[in-house]
Parts: sequence; structure tokens; C-alpha cells
Amino acid sequence: MTAPVPLQPGPLQAGPPPGGTGPGPGFVAAVVETSALTKRYPGGVNALDQLSVRVAPGITGLVGANGAGKSTLIKILLGLLAPTSGHAAVLGLDCSRDAERIRARCGYMPEHDCLPPDVTATEFVTHLGRMSGLPPTAAKERAAESLRHVGLYEERYRQIGTYSTGMKQRVKLAQALVGDPQLLLLDEPTIGLDPAGRASMLDLVSRIGTEFGISILVSSHLLGEIEQICDHLVAIDGGRLLRADTMTSFTQVSQVLLVEVDEGTALLEAELAARGLRPRRDERALLVQIGSGETYDAVRDAVADLGLPLNRLEQRRRRVEELFRDDVPDREGAA
Amino acid sequence: MTTQSGPQAARAGVIHDIGYRHYEGPRLGRAGIIRALGWHSLRSAFGIGRGAKAKIIPVIAFVLICLPAVVNAISLATHGGQVVYYDTYVFQLRVLIMIIFIAAQAPELVSRDLRSHVLPLYFSRPLRRLDYPAAKLGAFILACLALLEIPLLLLYLGSISQAHGGAAIWAQTRALIPGLLVGLAWAVLLASIGLALASLSGRRAYATGSIAICFFLSWALAGLLRGVTSENGMGAGAGARLSGLVSPFTVLDGLRQWLGGTSPGPLPRPGDLGVLYGVMFLLMLAAAVGGLAARYRKAGIS
Repeated sequence: MTAPVPLQPGPLQAGPPPGGTGPGPGFVAAVVETSALTKRYPGGVNALDQLSVRVAPGITGLVGANGAGKSTLIKILLGLLAPTSGHAAVLGLDCSRDAERIRARCGYMPEHDCLPPDVTATEFVTHLGRMSGLPPTAAKERAAESLRHVGLYEERYRQIGTYSTGMKQRVKLAQALVGDPQLLLLDEPTIGLDPAGRASMLDLVSRIGTEFGISILVSSHLLGEIEQICDHLVAIDGGRLLRADTMTSFTQVSQVLLVEVDEGTALLEAELAARGLRPRRDERALLVQIGSGETYDAVRDAVADLGLPLNRLEQRRRRVEELFRDDVPDREGAA
Repeated sequence: MTTQSGPQAARAGVIHDIGYRHYEGPRLGRAGIIRALGWHSLRSAFGIGRGAKAKIIPVIAFVLICLPAVVNAISLATHGGQVVYYDTYVFQLRVLIMIIFIAAQAPELVSRDLRSHVLPLYFSRPLRRLDYPAAKLGAFILACLALLEIPLLLLYLGSISQAHGGAAIWAQTRALIPGLLVGLAWAVLLASIGLALASLSGRRAYATGSIAICFFLSWALAGLLRGVTSENGMGAGAGARLSGLVSPFTVLDGLRQWLGGTSPGPLPRPGDLGVLYGVMFLLMLAAAVGGLAARYRKAGIS
């Protein structure tokens, strides 16, 4: 498993417009939809700049560097911040007019610490269940269930102040889950966790999205980890949309062919370049972007013409994060 | 794209348990949530639902403030004299107890949430921004009201138990009602000021300190001003009659006297200047409630 690489802001491929702007065949109601959403903070900082995006049900990753506008977007979606201009809707409800109804159907896990140290997780999540509108008994039951779902059992009777960071993150997730939301907005759920903690948190998010049938918008500045669990990806930078698409199309466009020869790698590299394939080095192998079926033929012919001992020829997917650092020399051999 | 798809389904079979159940039951609306928050806050004002330590000050305050009612009952039983009046109760004791109670418990309601940054979790629920301070204020007014009115009711019970005949009971009842109204004015003003001050700091010690200092200093200042302005022997010049405007406690007493309270208080009778106490009461209340609202309109949501 690759270590998550911080997303680098930079000249990135602006992809096609977000997956469809209107109902078409196979239309699925968007859980989140924004059009030309702009948020300008006093002082002239544009946190969001003409952001138009549509998020389908499922698990959607919201990636961007720190300060890209992820938290601002989430707060606007919850109706906690008013946009400067533009329009946003969540679950078909307008974020400016129907904020309360949106908040009744959404669970929110903030990025920062938000837990009082001197109450037990059970008390805390029960209280927040009440604040989500659950009657007393239901709040108690659902608090116990939510804590169980996030993996807190006997510990839940202990004061939160005694918890590890990972356990605190789980309590934050449990309080978002307690009101049985249709949509979860998770702001950097893995922040501050060690690799094992990150993996189990991602597992949990993935479970909630797939088994519990709750749509999730999860933000992260670590593309590498978020791509493991998402159905869709929305990448923003400087408040602008870089790209929004399904995970599969993100990776499909990035099909590469790995060619490894026992010797003469440099020769092959030159030959492939001469055939217009722009090979790149990856340790002892070469990576070639697959354009069409002819790419395979060209590689085969190049190897045959040079008479090189072919060791390996395999089709590979590039990880999404590589799409965001095309200008950086490839390093994925470490995988 | 459906919610059930994705390659993750397989990998997730690691842990936890049986499936997830959706909630199909009834949900409270905004008003119900505000009530729940108010009830929760009222309990925490008396340390209920917290550890034993949290109950110490509320319990001591409650016991102390009830003592005069007991003393009065004993006095009535032994030689028949009413020693405590409904509209002033025991003024100095009441001031002292209210300062201690508010300084200790107002931070319990608001500073803790500020300190641990819980507010985003409230604001991301189906509440409006000002619902939170409104629920807290309502709860704290009720808490202060309990501390101010329960002793009056005890006083009343003690008195009517010694009263002979319907007329005497009726007289007690008629005296009780203005006392309850005075208590209400105290609760509303002091709870508002206390919460507004507490909401300025997430640090409990600072919040408690600022409340205690504001209340004590203004109270001492009012006494000082009265002393200075009364020195010319007249005792009830305009200066002395206005000296109470600097402290919420003396403002409350000025208001009481202006509205017809007859028992002697800490202030000289304000007379025709009494209306100023009424105005000051409203100004202080507006400043406190406005300050509290402004605090939460601006409060960070991150």
C-alpha cells in the first residue's frame, strides 16, 4: 500500500465538465449539486471560485490541498456559511433556504477536535442524538449502536478525555451517524491518525458507504488514501474544480503498459520514442500510455525489431494521484 | 452508480458486527430540539448528570439561600415575628449566593462547549444559530429562578402554617406575589449578564473570574458611592438615590422600590428618580442579551 502523497497544487489537467449537467438517460438524483458557487472571504480571499459540481450517491472523495476550499464547501452545503454567489443544493434542497432540513438529513464530522474531555462517549453521542431530533429512548439506542458500528464497545463508558486520537475520531464519526443521516459529510476523517488508524478509519467509511447505504462526501488532502474507498472523485484547487468523475474513469484514462526487457532498456526507450509513444522510465521498466490497440502492436514490434529479451509486458492502472502530478517524474515503482 | 457498488464490499468484512439499521421512528422538530437542549442545560446548571463534584456549589448555594426561610418559620413559631420579607428576602445573602452560583454555573453551561469546540456539532444540526444561546439562557433563567423562588415558597409555607384564618393567609399570599415577581426580575437580569460574560471565554476560570469580579466590584462600587454621597448627612440626596445605578443588584432593588416595594432595601428610596432604575434594568438586560446573541452569531463554526 502506498504512503499517501499530499496533493500538489499545480498545473493539472482540467478534465471534462462535471459528470453531466442535467437529467439524462440513467439519471440519478445528485446528493450534492453546486453551480458557479463562489465564496469570497473578507480580505478578498476566494475560498471557492465558480465551482460547479454534481455528486452522485455513493462515496465521493473531495480532494484538494490544504486551503483548496474543501471545508468551505462543506460548510456552505450545511448552510453554516452563506455563499457570496452561486447556488448549492444538497439532497435536492437549497442550501440557503432549506438549511435546517438539510442538516436534519446530514451528518457532519468536522476536521478539528470537537469533543468535551469530561463526559463519556455514550453520554455525548446520546446528547447529540437528541440534538438531531431523536426522542430520548431512540437517542440512547442509536448512540449505543453508532458507537458499536464505529468499533467502540466497553470504552464507550469511559470519559472521552482518556481516548486515543483514533478513538476520538471514531466518536466524531459516531455522532455524525447517530441521527441516521442520508448523507455524511466527513471533513478529513483520517487527520492525525497513524497508518493503521487511517486504514481502519477508511475501512469504516467504506463500510458505511457500501453496507449502510449512506452517501458520503469525504474530504482529504491525501489523494492516495481516499482513492481506495471512493466511487467518485472531485478534485478542487484554489476553490476551482479540477475534475469530477467516477473513480473508474479516473483510472481508465490512465491505463499504461509496462514493458520490461532484460537489457537494452535505453535502446527500447529511444525506439519507442521514435514511434511516438513517449515512454517513461520506471526503475528497470518502461511505462507507455495506452492510446489505442495499436500501442500494443507498436511495443511488440519495437521489441521484436531490436531483438531484445522481453521479460515482462503488463497492463497497469496508474493511481489517481499520478494524474495530479504529471509534471513530476514518475516514482510509482515504489508501489 | 448505486450506493451498493464498489470493490470495497469485499474488503470490509473485517470487524465490527451485524448490520446497520435505519431509524424509522419519529423525529422532533426544531422546537423539540431546543427544549431538549434547554432541559439538558438546566440539569447541568445543578450538576445533574455530572460527577459529585459538580453538585457541590449548587447544593451549598441552595441550602444557604433556604436558611432564612427556615429561620423565619422558627421565629414565627417561637415569638411570632416575621423577620424575612418576600420582596427583599435577605438582600445581602441573596446577592452573595447569586454571585457564587452564577459565577460557578454559568461557565458550566456555555464555556465548556466553547472550550472543547463542540459548537460546530450543534450548528450542523437542525437548529438555527441563535437557538443555542436561547436554550441556554432559558435554562439558566429557570435555574436562577429555582434558587430565588423556592426559598420564597418555603417562606410562604412556613408563614401560612403559622397563620390563623383566611385573612392572614390571604395577606401572606398578597405579599408573596410581588416577591415572586422581584425574583423573576432578578433571575432574568442576572442570568443574562452571567451567561453573556461566561460566553466570552472558553476557559472556565476566566469566565468564573470575570463574572465574580463584575458582580462584586459593581456591588462594592454602589455601596461606596452611596457612602460618599450620603456623607453630608442628608442620606437621600439625588446622588445617593442614583448611586445604585452602577450595579445590577442595586438596579434590581431600585426597580423593586420604584414599582412599589415597601420593605427597606440597600438603597435610599429612589423616589421620582425610580424610573431611571427601570430604564437601567432594561438597558442592562438588552446589553446582556444582545451581547450573548452577538457572541453566537459570530461564533466560530470550524
